[in-house]
Parts: sequence; structure tokens; C-alpha cells
Amino acid sequence: MALSYDEVDALADYAQEHDVTFPLLSDPDFEIIRRFGILNTLIDPDDHPWYGIPFPGTYVIDADGVVTAKFFENNLFLRPSSEQLLRAALGDEIELEPLSERPTEVLVDVAIGDDPIGVGVLHDLIVRFAVPEGLHLYGEPVPDGMVATAVDFDEDEGLVVRPAIFPPTVDHTLAGTGEVLHIFEGDVTVRVPITHNGRSMQWRDDGSTFIAVRGTVRWQACDDDVCHLPQRHRFELEVEAKPINMFERDRAEDSERMDFKRHFARMSHRRQA
Amino acid sequence: MTERQIEKETYAVRHESGLWANEFGALGPYRPGVGPRSNPKGWFPTGPDVGERLPDIVATSHTGDTVDVHALRGGGPAVVVFYRSAVW
Repeated sequence: MALSYDEVDALADYAQEHDVTFPLLSDPDFEIIRRFGILNTLIDPDDHPWYGIPFPGTYVIDADGVVTAKFFENNLFLRPSSEQLLRAALGDEIELEPLSERPTEVLVDVAIGDDPIGVGVLHDLIVRFAVPEGLHLYGEPVPDGMVATAVDFDEDEGLVVRPAIFPPTVDHTLAGTGEVLHIFEGDVTVRVPITHNGRSMQWRDDGSTFIAVRGTVRWQACDDDVCHLPQRHRFELEVEAKPINMFERDRAEDSERMDFKRHFARMSHRRQA
Repeated sequence: MTERQIEKETYAVRHESGLWANEFGALGPYRPGVGPRSNPKGWFPTGPDVGERLPDIVATSHTGDTVDVHALRGGGPAVVVFYRSAVW
């Protein structure tokens, strides 16, 4: 379900144009938005028709109605992909195969889903480690001289990278010193939400479009006695990408274009009255 | 109780096209910090927390029906999106 400050007839036109099959809810006096505490108060109440929009975000709720995940960004450009929302709501549809049943060294794999990435739509880059038994990797914060697990991206004006989501670390107390380290063991999956702003799109001969996602995974593996040298793994993925956002892409075929101007004028007028 | 301050993000770069880029390189006609691009910098409120029950939502839908979000989902999970507008 989706909620906005639009009038019902504007939502009806939008639903028809985009073949929307879920309810679009109208909150024209932004009463619900305000009650949720997410009214964008940076906009002046006299600034029509912008005043009344929320800080944009999405809640995932479980069968008991309890919030299990939230996706909020500070701007209207970035938004979660259906892939991210479905994973949050239903769990992984595809169970990730272990990289190895019994790894003898740390194995790393970097992958992303097959859905093309629209401008501003966030998809998770999935970085997986298989850590041999007895070894561990480090999460932040790490003691001086040690290397925490990290995913770095090459400089690229078209690539947008949001903070990585790490699994919870396990506290690991070093015998003798009492120092507590924050470690990862076994199969470790890190997700990095990424998208693009359209500036680094590349075209293939067949007209299809992609972005190149390049970077380096860093880690250091240790056991209780010995630390191995810090390691790095370069990755370079060709990711299908679209120069437009989902909004344009999802327009139903042969649908009548909604009259944005009329709705916009009416919306402004009502607010000024 | 004093309300927690929300700062405004005003980072903006003028692109050769005449459009304005925000901190993510996204182009738009409005300068970041103005009108629909009045975005927060740092902390901003995001409503109910993970682990809390989503507050009740009863509103009119695009079909004109009154929808109660918790009733409609019929004991299943749901995704609830708060977005800017269907018009712009």
C-alpha cells in the first residue's frame, strides 16, 4: 500500500495509467503523515504545493503488524527496489548456496540480482565470505593495526553507494588480555545498497545499457594465535541499468496519460484557499 | 520538551545543462534546499521504530473505498510506502 497527500481522483488517474493493483491511500490534509511524525517540516507551510509531503520512506510489517524493517532516505531521488522490499517482507526467495562446505581459506564472492537498475532505485550488492572454522574476520571498531571487513568502490560520478549493512558481530575476548574484538565467523553476507544517477551509463552495440560497478573487498583473517596478512579482492561487474526510473518504466501500455498539470493546479489552488 | 532540530541539506552543484545536482549527483530543476528538494541533512524523523506496531491507518483509497491497513492485510505481512505525490 502507498500513501500520499494527493486527492482521490489524482490517485485514481495514476492507478489507471500505471495499472496499480494495490491501494493508493489519500491523506490530503496530511493528518496521517503528521501523526506518524514524518511531515517534512523543512518546507514552509506557505510553500504550495510542496508543503505536506513526508520524509519519504517505506515500512515493512509482519503478520502481527509490527515494523520489521524501514527504508528511509533523506531525499526523493533514492528509493528501495521491489527486490529489497520483497526480501525484507518475505525473506530471501533464493537460499544462497554456501560458497564451500569446508573452506580451507577465506573465499569471497560479489554478486547482484538480475533486475535492471533504474535511476535512483537501490539494489543490494551482495558480498559473501566463507570463513574456515577457527578463523574470523573483523567488524568495526578494530584495534590499531588491524583491518576491518570493508567494501570500497572505485571513484565514479554515476554510482551512488549507501552504507553497507553488515550482519551482527560476535564478541570475542582475547585470552590473557581481556580485550574484546568484534568478529564475523562462518558464512558472512554483507549487503551494500547501490544505484546510479544516469551519468555513467554505457551502451552496448545492441542498444542495451549497463553500468560498470568496480571496487575492492578488504578483510583480515585471524585465529586465536595468528593473524594472516590483510587481503583484498577486486570486483568488476557489468550491471544492467536503465536511464529512467521505475515511474516511467512502469507506465501501462496504451494507457491514457494522466493530466498532471490539471491535478497540480488544483492541488496548489486548494492549498492556497 | 524541546523538539530535535532538523538541519537542511543545501549541497548543490550547477550542472552545465542548467539543472542542479544534489549530493548524489541527481539532477533536477530545483536547487537542493528549495521547495520539493528541501531535504534533511543528518538526523530526521522516520516514524515508528522497528519492533513497534505500525499505528493504525484508515484512509480513502483511489477507488473511493475506506481502507484500514491492518484489516486489509488480513493477518499477513505488508509493505507501506509514504511517498511524495502521484501528481509530480
